[in-house]
Amino acid sequence: MGRGTIEKLGAIQQGELSATENVQQALDRIKKLDKKIKAFIELNPNALAEAEAVDCKLKRGEHMGKLAGLTIGIKSNINVKGLRATCASRTLENYVSPYDAEVIRRVRDAGGIIVGMNNMDEFACGSSGETSSFGPTDNPVAPGHIPGGSSSGSAAAIAAGMCDICLGTDTGGAIRNPASHCGVVGIRPTQGLVPAHGLIELAVSFDQIGPLAPDVYGAALMLETIAGHNPKECTSLDSPSVNYSDKLGIGIENIRVGTSSKFSELTDSAVMGVIDGAVEKLHDLGAEVVEVELPNLEKSLSAYYVIMFAEFFSATRKFDGRKYGRRIEEVCGDEVLRRITCGDYISRKDQHDRHYKRALQVRTLMRREFGEALNKVDVIVGPTVPKLPHQLGTKLSPAEMYAYDYLTSPINLAGICAGTVKAGEASGIPVGLQVQGKVLGEETVLRVMRALEAVK
Amino acid sequence: MRMKIGLEVHEQLATKRKLCCDCPTDYREDPPNTNVCPICTAMPGAKPMPPNVKAVDAVIELALMLGCEVVLDQPIYVQRKHYDYPDLPAGYQHSSTPIGINGELVGVRIREVHLEEDPGAYDPVAGTVDFNRCGVPLVEIVTEPDMHSPEEARRFLRQLMRVLDYSGKVRPEPGTLRADTNISLEGGTRVEIKNINSTKGAYRAVKFEVMRQRALIERGAVIPYETRAYLESQMITVPMRMKVVDFHVIPDPDIFPIVIDRARVETIRKRMVEAPHQREQRLVKQYQISQAVAGVIVSERELADLFEAVAKEVDPKLVATWFQTNLKKVLNYMKLRATEVKFTHKQLAGLLRMVKAKRITPEQGELVLRKLVEQPAEPEELLRKLGLGRLGRAELSAAIARTIEENPKAVKDYRAGRKEALNFLAGKVMKLTRGRADPREILKFLSAKLKGKKKRRVSRRTKRSK
Repeated sequence: MGRGTIEKLGAIQQGELSATENVQQALDRIKKLDKKIKAFIELNPNALAEAEAVDCKLKRGEHMGKLAGLTIGIKSNINVKGLRATCASRTLENYVSPYDAEVIRRVRDAGGIIVGMNNMDEFACGSSGETSSFGPTDNPVAPGHIPGGSSSGSAAAIAAGMCDICLGTDTGGAIRNPASHCGVVGIRPTQGLVPAHGLIELAVSFDQIGPLAPDVYGAALMLETIAGHNPKECTSLDSPSVNYSDKLGIGIENIRVGTSSKFSELTDSAVMGVIDGAVEKLHDLGAEVVEVELPNLEKSLSAYYVIMFAEFFSATRKFDGRKYGRRIEEVCGDEVLRRITCGDYISRKDQHDRHYKRALQVRTLMRREFGEALNKVDVIVGPTVPKLPHQLGTKLSPAEMYAYDYLTSPINLAGICAGTVKAGEASGIPVGLQVQGKVLGEETVLRVMRALEAVK
Repeated sequence: MRMKIGLEVHEQLATKRKLCCDCPTDYREDPPNTNVCPICTAMPGAKPMPPNVKAVDAVIELALMLGCEVVLDQPIYVQRKHYDYPDLPAGYQHSSTPIGINGELVGVRIREVHLEEDPGAYDPVAGTVDFNRCGVPLVEIVTEPDMHSPEEARRFLRQLMRVLDYSGKVRPEPGTLRADTNISLEGGTRVEIKNINSTKGAYRAVKFEVMRQRALIERGAVIPYETRAYLESQMITVPMRMKVVDFHVIPDPDIFPIVIDRARVETIRKRMVEAPHQREQRLVKQYQISQAVAGVIVSERELADLFEAVAKEVDPKLVATWFQTNLKKVLNYMKLRATEVKFTHKQLAGLLRMVKAKRITPEQGELVLRKLVEQPAEPEELLRKLGLGRLGRAELSAAIARTIEENPKAVKDYRAGRKEALNFLAGKVMKLTRGRADPREILKFLSAKLKGKKKRRVSRRTKRSK
């Protein structure tokens, strides 16, 4: 551990580090740290065997995929055949996946070795990692603070060096938020870029699977592995495949970077100070910094929650206690129950026009607003989370908790892509810069992220 | 008492694959829960495939056959309809917004035609669910409340079933129909009856409902708005326990809306089957046949196809008569549907040409037809096999002469004025010629001969006496 993804891959390919050794190191580190951090819910009992198989192929000189020998952690709402996809919920605590999600198939094909299933907020309902039925995850780089959520275990596992790359999911910010709090790299891809088959949904129309990694290269590598059309899925985009990792070093001269005064209105000054510093760095690297208009940005949060409640209510109807464990309402935590209850209400026939329909209109508005802003610039940069992570166990009202998503959820409404990379620290706690790109603008987003990462 | 009846008819589409996955649609023959996958059993995380194009095309075609406008260039949402029941693994059923609207069939307006998905089959007694059926595409046809009696409802359903059969787009096996029926009597409340799965069932259920509701109204009772179930075995309806009052309908975020363009509709229109009620009118005009005959001919699509093929080669009026009487009779007798007929239209045309040319009698024709249905072959060959073929004049004369000679008593009776003796004699001739002679001709010649002989004899006597 401790080396970058490129160096690690080089060491594996040149035989300096075997896949088996890499997996063993990961398992040792998990064993040592995870009692305290709780980044994993379950480990893959076959990880070492799978690593040996990879080593055999490497020794024979067989062509190996991009992730050959790397250790991968998977968020517990993604189906991995033979492992439990619990969604960190009692409802699914004994649900062993009978099939691989499409992204898992692609990770396996690329030689990635799944070490285990990461902890998360229950059914991805949370922005702090505290709603997991298996206990909250600690923040490895700011102990005693929340790691953010809902991909809490994924971000913490990367930050603690427990594995090389993780797959998280982002519905309203669930990759970017913990990436920011834990000081790691996270990408939420354009809606439909990464196949969703096998992802147990929070809200289908916002969910995206994406990578969390210690560096931009690792995130780019994972993204290019899992991205691409799946014809068997309705909402999968038919987009050309891109080798993001090859183009990271191009630099950002002449790239137009947008900022908005809206961000500072919604964000704590401590966080904003770090972000302003990062924007200055981008400017120094040759980017042109331009002010853009996002007049309705603050409207997105409530629209996001309304749509998500309705879709979550619908998605959880299958957990009726007949097939998987117990009926969800009987065993879930308060936050999950709150969302189901709200969704039940919102999707009622007599309420439909009042909330749901209007939220869909805001969604269209957000698409247009970001579309117009991104016509003027290549990316929009700003803070990821408006405030620093609270201390584990602090009581927050639902509204305070939801406010963590103020700056991330608009991207999910707009259906565009965004990544988070560490911009600096405030009071010793990492602060991530959010780089927001056009539809399928991942390549540019990653370049900007890499440029900032390289200055550090 | 005036009443309004509206129907919501569901029928399974005859696609090979389910609506949102690749599983086969066979749920009758295959062992339970074998034609299933993570998608149609709604395993956590499974995402639907794009809706089966053939199912959507089938609904478009049915909408067109029912005179609907197809909803063009607008999003047609596949929605989620939520309810909690063991047969529904996802907790919701897929149901599209209208694909066709504003149609009409035999005077009943069709409000909409859309796509739905069948749930699994739950057996409450055994407590088991078979998900083989889950995800099989359905068409749902919703009428306006334009029927005003049980008879009208039955008539409409019959016509509708004929259209569906005709299309070839729905599953041919019986028992796949479901007709939810809404009925309200003047001064009453709308009541929905579910669990109706035949035309007869719909008729009986409505009849019972009318009786029940009328009795309530007469007693001054209020009819509650409710959903009732029809019990086939007892021919009554009973209140259904319905927990669902709100389906929480939302567009399925997993499925992009379907958008249908004009080109797609026109392609379907070009290759689609003509609806039976439209075909009936065309046949009347084109072949100058009566409405009644046309009605019989279009009762089955294959029968009408056969008719039109044969009518191209032989006098359509003769063909029509034969279809209405002889062919229908033979098929009914042998309990065959037109689709099961094996002979070619050329063979039937050949047979009818012989009848037309009076090479054989209509009665012989029917014998050949029967053989043709049993074991298709060229009519000439069948004729030979049956030992038929119209008798020559000489042969017929000889048979008549022999009959007269062998039956003096009957001859005497006839001459004594007993007309029925002629039929007896004609029967004897028929027997002698083994049915190869035309009965009309036998009668003609026989009576001529008997009269002629008499005359001749008289004249001879006259000669002698002279």
